[in-house]
Amino acid sequence: MAETILVVVEQQAGKLNRVSLETIAAAQSIAKDTGWQVEIAILGQDIGAVAQELAKRKAAKVYAIESPQLATYTSDAYVYALREFLKTHTPKLILMPHTYQVRDFVPSLALAMGKTVIPDAVGYKYENGKLLFTRQMFQGKFAADVSFAGDGPYLATFQNAAFRGDLAEAGTAPIETLQVTVPEGIIRVTAHEIFKEAKQAVDLSQAEVIVAVGRGIKEQKNMAMAEDLAKILGGDIAASRPICDAGWLPLDRQIGSSGQTIAPKLYIALGISGAIQHIVGMKGSRTIVAINKDAEAPIFEIADIGIVGNIFDVVPALTEEIKKAKAGA
Amino acid sequence: MIHFREPIEGIERPQMEADVVIVGGGPAGMACALRLSQLIDAHNAVNPDAPLTKDNIYVLEKAREAGQHCLSGALLDPRSMRELLPGFETEAPIDGECTKESVYFLTRTGKRKFPFTPPPMRDHGNYVISINKFVKWMAQKVEEAGITVFTGFAASEVLLDGDRVLGVQTDDKGVDKSGQPKANFEPGYDLRSKVTIFAEGPRGSCTKQIVQQFHLEDSNHAQVYGVGIKELWEVPAGRVAKGEVIYTLGYPLTTKEYGGAWIYGISDTLLSVGYVTGLDYEDPRTDPHHAFQSFKEHPFLRDLLAGGKMVRYGAKSLPYGGWNSMPQMYGNGWMLTGDSAGFLNSQRLKGIHLAIKSGMLAAETAFDALLSGDTSSTQLAAYKARVDASWIREELYPVRNFHQAFEHGLVDGMVKAGLQQLMGGANLGPDSKSHPGYEKMRHLDAVGLTDLHRTQFLGQAKGDGKLTFDKLTDVYHSGTRHDDDQPTHLVIADLDICNNRCTKEFGNPCQFFCPASVYEMVETQSEDGGHLQKDLHINFANCVHCKTCDIMDPYQIINWVPPEGGGGPNYDGM
Repeated sequence: MAETILVVVEQQAGKLNRVSLETIAAAQSIAKDTGWQVEIAILGQDIGAVAQELAKRKAAKVYAIESPQLATYTSDAYVYALREFLKTHTPKLILMPHTYQVRDFVPSLALAMGKTVIPDAVGYKYENGKLLFTRQMFQGKFAADVSFAGDGPYLATFQNAAFRGDLAEAGTAPIETLQVTVPEGIIRVTAHEIFKEAKQAVDLSQAEVIVAVGRGIKEQKNMAMAEDLAKILGGDIAASRPICDAGWLPLDRQIGSSGQTIAPKLYIALGISGAIQHIVGMKGSRTIVAINKDAEAPIFEIADIGIVGNIFDVVPALTEEIKKAKAGA
Repeated sequence: MIHFREPIEGIERPQMEADVVIVGGGPAGMACALRLSQLIDAHNAVNPDAPLTKDNIYVLEKAREAGQHCLSGALLDPRSMRELLPGFETEAPIDGECTKESVYFLTRTGKRKFPFTPPPMRDHGNYVISINKFVKWMAQKVEEAGITVFTGFAASEVLLDGDRVLGVQTDDKGVDKSGQPKANFEPGYDLRSKVTIFAEGPRGSCTKQIVQQFHLEDSNHAQVYGVGIKELWEVPAGRVAKGEVIYTLGYPLTTKEYGGAWIYGISDTLLSVGYVTGLDYEDPRTDPHHAFQSFKEHPFLRDLLAGGKMVRYGAKSLPYGGWNSMPQMYGNGWMLTGDSAGFLNSQRLKGIHLAIKSGMLAAETAFDALLSGDTSSTQLAAYKARVDASWIREELYPVRNFHQAFEHGLVDGMVKAGLQQLMGGANLGPDSKSHPGYEKMRHLDAVGLTDLHRTQFLGQAKGDGKLTFDKLTDVYHSGTRHDDDQPTHLVIADLDICNNRCTKEFGNPCQFFCPASVYEMVETQSEDGGHLQKDLHINFANCVHCKTCDIMDPYQIINWVPPEGGGGPNYDGM
């Protein structure tokens, strides 16, 4: 019998992760070169529809591995279920997309099997009966061909976009549904609601009003004063480098050559001297108000309104006046 | 809490095998790679059955693009390039050939032209170049020859096994400021090489590691350095001719400090202006950047630059020590080339041609070693023999006492250097010794706080924003960039010395000798909310990789290590 390539694809809430098709295309291509056959496995609960969708690809079989414990992804359940499956099936090669989920469970699966993984491959070569996988090194400046030593099953994952999913060949594959029971105690983690971490908490480029703080603020506890001003103006808070350096504000709120470039309607600089590195990040602001005790500070050269004074006197008074004006309006 | 950069411990690092690793892609490193390629091509032409491969020869360069971190005047003596690539002039980026040179001695407001140009400063036939452009061109040649240049990768550690250099470890990427891996973390590689060639420029961090570990420097002949500060100026035409070279001595430094300036005409409207200050001054408040700013305020320069615009800024140290200060330059599996080994003629203020030649000689030695399969110290000793038999020795040996003559000031130095000129480079007695420059720095209370002769270079320059600039403005024009979210790459062994002892003894000279505003003493309230104290802040993102701090810090507690590869200045046309 021909050797088998098992593609373990990925779904979430019954929806196929499209990158799975890329891996199927990769497997079909390898199969063509080696004369091996492709099988597809999908894990989850109530995944009949996804299995149907997969069955429309050219493959020898689609395994739908179902279990209530696979309804929500956990690495423990996935590793257990796949190991159970592999007790009765012996593919030569197991291919997976290099997704976060795969990155999460594959190391423990490989370790449990005592096998090696070639992760994040971008291509393969079949030369003189030997299967080689291409991996990038030195941040993509260099490509290395690597191969497996020892006996299979071999595990490999392919990088996103390494193959074209739309080129996965169509066909019809029989579906075999397998029920697995994951015993008590195997799953050591509880899955909570899935969330995505916001990449950037704030997009300062959209802000209309920005209150920016420089070293003149002196101490972290004085930040509250600037935040009050920002709040009453409905604006965002930002800073020059020393403040973010000190960790008083996150780095994504840094304005300047090494931070964000912004152009709000109103920019209020508190205790910022105005080094060129900062200026280049905010000089496009429509109205620039600078408050600094040093009358020589370069920020005044580009400010529309300059207040020479102690920010600890000026800012609370300003906040108070705005409050009053707003109340009156 | 400042977290300092160090290799992440306890992780598995990808391993890579190499025949030759060249650390640093400046003139020395690129010349070395090119020469190796030529030797391999020649070998393969006559040995088609047993060809050698270039696949396992790598150049590591910490800059994002080749040439970006190189800084020089620059004047190129074409001698070595003509040996490496005959006829290179037809395709290399050259701004002009030097046809006119003059030397001036500046007083505070006046200038006196030397009646004749001293022989070492005669530059007819040398080329005015931009070292960035030139090295970038060399890098293209190297890549066309089939040798891989890894830009954006720094060698952060030397891999050692006893007295053998096994290769280098590259920088860990994606580490945050507290030393934790970020989502894009990628561990540095262990690049294991049969031969490792260090071409890191002056005070290379890996070079420093092995110089210290293997005691390569002769303590009687310590390497001494200067720092060159440079700006590129666009000026109205007609001021300085293309290819014209002007040197000045004197103001703003006094007869006690070592230094001088250059002005090169790159084109009719573009000037390279720079000032070198010897890193062996006494007054801890000396600020080389300030010296350069004051130099531009001299009437001579004021006239040259009037109506012009500063377009670029940079700074870089250079090794002055000469022949006797060169450390042992080879060992088991390694060689030192270029400024890393001190290949610089301090009398002519030129080193690029020597760097290129040393790289070529190292390549020839490495090639023989690879062929013989022996990369031991015994085999690589041939490198030193090649240097001794070459014109490098002919050029450097006769000027071996030149810089040392100035150890006691300009007047004394002129007399001694004049005598050396008559005596084939020898002193009236034995060869001069040299001591690390930082040892000459004196405590604040010993230098006199009201020295009116030196105010023009003590403390930081304020700058008028037109002719003169403060450091931050200048640093902006260096184009330097570093990811802010990474550990501090200026590794300070004991911050307590900075914040308490140095403040009292030297007044934190790091604020002054650093030409990029990296070091800053910031007033902070003490924990109990009582008195104000000053703490050292390290604005590492401003660093222009000049290494001055590593060289001049009086306690020698600053260790410059490479930041994440790709960070650093963006010199272009400098």
